Amino acid sequence: MNGITSGFGAWNPIAWTLLFLGILIVAFFVRSFGRKDYKRGTGQTKAFLSGNEEPAAPAGLHVSGDNLYWGMVHGLSAYYRRVREWHTGDLGDYVGWFIGVLALIFVIIVWGG
Amino acid sequence: MGLPRSFKRALWVFHVATGSCNGCDIEIVAALTPRYDVERFGIMLTGTPRHADVLLVTGTVTKPMLPRLKRIYEQTPDPKAVVVVGGCGASSGVFYESYNVAGPIDEVIPVDVYVPGCPPRPEAIIDGVVKAVTKLETLEGSGVKSG
Repeated sequence: MNGITSGFGAWNPIAWTLLFLGILIVAFFVRSFGRKDYKRGTGQTKAFLSGNEEPAAPAGLHVSGDNLYWGMVHGLSAYYRRVREWHTGDLGDYVGWFIGVLALIFVIIVWGG
Repeated sequence: MGLPRSFKRALWVFHVATGSCNGCDIEIVAALTPRYDVERFGIMLTGTPRHADVLLVTGTVTKPMLPRLKRIYEQTPDPKAVVVVGGCGASSGVFYESYNVAGPIDEVIPVDVYVPGCPPRPEAIIDGVVKAVTKLETLEGSGVKSG
């Protein structure tokens, strides 16, 4: 099998495909041990919430991907608060920041060089 | 059609307390301790009725628990057996016709085995579960399909 081998590792698409196929077969094998006799459309296939009724989702409810990053946003809230203040929505401000940072980098390069 | 494979390996039990004083519940826990050790027979408590073969119900049914007990029964896959542990579950006991009691368990869901006592000893509870298995095997043998 042809592949790419470098000092950082190896890549071979056929080997990876075979590995994924092997994992899939094992997964289906384990899944086959599960019960198949649940009656669909009855309580037997509903989530168990300590006997409580499953609350219906409000109409139009959409859980956005932002929820995945809630912890990170919350952890960095102090940083985000400060950064939001700088976002004025004025293009002139953004260009000003751009030129300012560019000038700073230029100074660092000249100073350091 | 015989018993499902999972059933032959082990018997998973879900415990529901519908309003008990905890006396029966403590005896169920005692059946799991090393002195009685029901897990050596493959009998173990499960955390959800969706994985259970047997429902172990304790206490008389209080009104708030009435819809919850019905829902738990519906969520248990077939074939299933219901074992009532204690006198309160069988007849409401000292809570008979109390203002907050919906009735004994067999007025809410079908019951297969009664284990009397206040509370019953762990040996009696184990015997009740074994009787439930026998009943399920009889049902299977007479052609009652799972599912």
